[in-house]
Amino acid sequence: MDLLQVNDLKTYFFTEAGVVKAVDGITFNVEKGCTVGLVGESGSGKSVTAQSVLRIVPRPGKIIGGKIFFNGEDILSKKEDEMRSYRGKKISLIFQDPTSSLNPVFTIGSQLTEIVSQHKGVKKSDAAEEVIKALSLVRLPDPEEALNRYPHQFSGGMKQRICIARALLLNPELLFADEPTTNLDVTIQAQIINLLMELQKNIGLTLVMITHDMGIVTQMCKCVVVLYAGNVMEIGSIEQIFQMPHPYTEALLKAVPRLDQTRKLVSIPGNIPNLINPPSGCRFHPRCQYAIDRCKDEIPPLIDVGDGHMISCHRWRELNGG
Amino acid sequence: MVSLALRKRGSRKGQERRSASQWAVAWRRFKKHKSGLLGLGMVVALILVAIFHSFIAPYPARPDPNAFLPLYEGEAGQPPSWKHPFGTTIIGNDVFSEVVHGTVYTLYVAIGTTLIAMLITVVVGISSGYLGGKIDDLLMRITEVFLVFPSLLLILVFARIYQLINPEPFWNVLGISIPVNLTMIVVIVAVFAWAGNARVIRGEVLALKEKEFIQAAKSLGANSRWIMLRHIFPNILPQVIVIATLTMASAVLVEAVVSFLGFGDPSTITWGRMMEESFQNMSTTWWAEVFPGLAVFFTVLAFNLMGDGISDALNPRLRE
Amino acid sequence: MGLAKYVIRRLLYMIPLILGISIVVFLVMYAAGDPIQIATAGNPSITEAQRQFLREYYGLNDPIPVQYVRWLDHFLHFDFGKSLYGGKPVNEIISIYFWETLKLQLVSILLAFAISIPIGVYSAVKQRSWFDYIFSGISIAGVSFPVFFLGIIFILVFSYQLGWLPSAGAHGAPQLWPVFGIQNPFLDELAHLAMPATVLTLAGLAYNTRLLRAGMLEVLRQDYIMAARASGIPERKILLKYALKNAIMPLITLLGMSIGFAIAGAPATETVFSWPGLGRAYVTAASRLDFPLIMGITMIITIMILVANLITDISYAAIDPRISID
Repeated sequence: MDLLQVNDLKTYFFTEAGVVKAVDGITFNVEKGCTVGLVGESGSGKSVTAQSVLRIVPRPGKIIGGKIFFNGEDILSKKEDEMRSYRGKKISLIFQDPTSSLNPVFTIGSQLTEIVSQHKGVKKSDAAEEVIKALSLVRLPDPEEALNRYPHQFSGGMKQRICIARALLLNPELLFADEPTTNLDVTIQAQIINLLMELQKNIGLTLVMITHDMGIVTQMCKCVVVLYAGNVMEIGSIEQIFQMPHPYTEALLKAVPRLDQTRKLVSIPGNIPNLINPPSGCRFHPRCQYAIDRCKDEIPPLIDVGDGHMISCHRWRELNGG
Repeated sequence: MVSLALRKRGSRKGQERRSASQWAVAWRRFKKHKSGLLGLGMVVALILVAIFHSFIAPYPARPDPNAFLPLYEGEAGQPPSWKHPFGTTIIGNDVFSEVVHGTVYTLYVAIGTTLIAMLITVVVGISSGYLGGKIDDLLMRITEVFLVFPSLLLILVFARIYQLINPEPFWNVLGISIPVNLTMIVVIVAVFAWAGNARVIRGEVLALKEKEFIQAAKSLGANSRWIMLRHIFPNILPQVIVIATLTMASAVLVEAVVSFLGFGDPSTITWGRMMEESFQNMSTTWWAEVFPGLAVFFTVLAFNLMGDGISDALNPRLRE
Repeated sequence: MGLAKYVIRRLLYMIPLILGISIVVFLVMYAAGDPIQIATAGNPSITEAQRQFLREYYGLNDPIPVQYVRWLDHFLHFDFGKSLYGGKPVNEIISIYFWETLKLQLVSILLAFAISIPIGVYSAVKQRSWFDYIFSGISIAGVSFPVFFLGIIFILVFSYQLGWLPSAGAHGAPQLWPVFGIQNPFLDELAHLAMPATVLTLAGLAYNTRLLRAGMLEVLRQDYIMAARASGIPERKILLKYALKNAIMPLITLLGMSIGFAIAGAPATETVFSWPGLGRAYVTAASRLDFPLIMGITMIITIMILVANLITDISYAAIDPRISID
């Protein structure tokens, strides 16, 4: 069964310069207990998608269309109060930068117990108990001591552990991890990834891993959603996207540095498009090496090319010998 | 106060030397900034009035005896009318004419003070930030002294001492008569108007110093003076422009206060002087008090609006 | 435990600063001319012999360094000498005016601080709403409006036009100001305080709301605010607890600085309202070049500013755990 269904989601930012179509008709499903990778370059709409699901898109952003179902319930039609009881309790979010996602002027204890007492209405001491439990779950050394300390007294890796504990405090069913390792040292990155994988397995968590790192995707995910400029380019299993990738995914895969290959690092030529006036037709066409005139004029539909492998490309079939 | 308003704006990350096109981008952003444009328009209007003041004002400025024509015509202390749009003073001057002539002094104060204050700000800020070490220590100690000085009080004492020295009222420079006492006030105000801003600039320079293009210039053997002039200065220029605009606003305010309290130049009729003269009689001739006051307000407002607009145009991060 | 050490270190650090400032002011004033000549210039009947006597009396015939050391010695015994006009001890004069200024300034600073919080927070939350536009407009106008001119407008409207409030002084003399027909010393004091306090409050409010609005806008963009939202914390609590505690920092600095500088009084505002405070006393002292009084007031204000800075830094450290005081 699908825990999360996102259907033609549109989230726009109404800035002074114009309307930024950050998420422009995104559709994908997340199966319960699965780890899904949400992949794309920065500015592709990954983070905004997660924020939309939690309905915490910052101003001047607004969800202007589409449907989001969580456990079959339409969460875009819920009242704000009811939605708030979902946040942290059923759906959680881990941010990219642990330093800026912890409030610098409150202790770890006060920030985390607040969440428990908010949702459960329990006493401070009971809430503290649960916080300590969560902190030990992410293997933060000396969790009791940590309650009275401030964020700046911890290292980046420890702060990210605290953030993970915060997200898991109320045993949510769905966890978005928004590039949780990007701001960390390489060795710490591996620790955090391992921790997430372990937690996912042990608690049976459904995890959406937002990243631009194809390496992390192959390590953690069963299924991948590839976004580009607010559109879905491709959805498929790891095998599918490696064997017969969308031209954009192919370009992303080439950009992954690999230890076992001496091949030159390829970065995708061109820049992320301006989302106020996105390119016509397929949004990737200005940077696509296979683009033809049709790609400029016609938006390719997202179609199932077999075994749940979804592709939005006019030329994919022909390029893959179909 | 200027430095306070700016502290927040001081933090900006990675910026390379701004090319001409970056200035064009900032200008394009400024053109969309309604209140900033309004401020610019008001400043331009002020400059035009100052340039054409002798054509616009129906009566000449004191000490020209014709400034007292309304008195001879029996029109002293009259409320606003078609002939005297801002009314006349109790001693028989046309308030509108005096406000118009006052624009010249106001601009002189604004620009003069700002030029001197910014010169000190930039020199102290850059040398302190870039050279560091003992020079930095010394300059920052001096800056601290200036920051805790109750500056307005000292300005008043200086101004009073200078009034008593009683110099010749005007210098004649290339046919233009420069009011000596007002010039002294400009210098005094400027001397007390740089400390907070110099700290802001120093902070900017410290951040810039670590940038690669500065390191590169250094490794290519450029000397310190060259780097400060050619690399550091152009990069802090946007910040300097914003600070300068806001310094103009506060210079006009301070001069108005100094003159209003009776410490101004006795031989020039600035807006503050006009307010001082009419203060005792303001229950009867309120117009002689209110119109110069409004002139000060709109001038300061113009500079502040323009400063805000420039700041927003140069730091787009602050706007959504 | 570190606090006492820190305070002592900071107090020691103030000594050279205070010495430096006193030397500069002393030199400037006493190099400017003969204070007795200036003080007696308006008195044609005075003889040179009398002037000489006065110089002797105030110790002005000694070399300037000797005078300075003597001044310093007195200063260390909290004695600022005597005014050149009337010979009243400077301490006495200052203590009279000090409390009137403190009363006026404390009322306005605290009011401005308290009122600015809801306005600043609401403006930031409702950025680009009509509320925000109106209050942003008012506050930039407020920052640009000369404070003493605002006082003048108030007097014109509320005293001369409407006759509601007294235009001058801190107390009714010879008779109390009637408030709704009641003559009562407390109401009289309030009536006199109303206009100058309102004017100074409005001026402070303009600065505070601008600062707080900018601070809130900056903080509301931070990830930890979104993280709090993502954890299901109610918006009200996010704004008034999580965001405000971060955004209020610059306001605390401003508050500390303004308390220091407030002791300097608002010379122009106090003059407009004939408020018997330190600012007005200073204006008078400066216009007569009453050097002992100027020195006394300057030193008092400088010390107040330094102490206020110290208190600001300590409270800063109390609010922001990232800042440590040792």
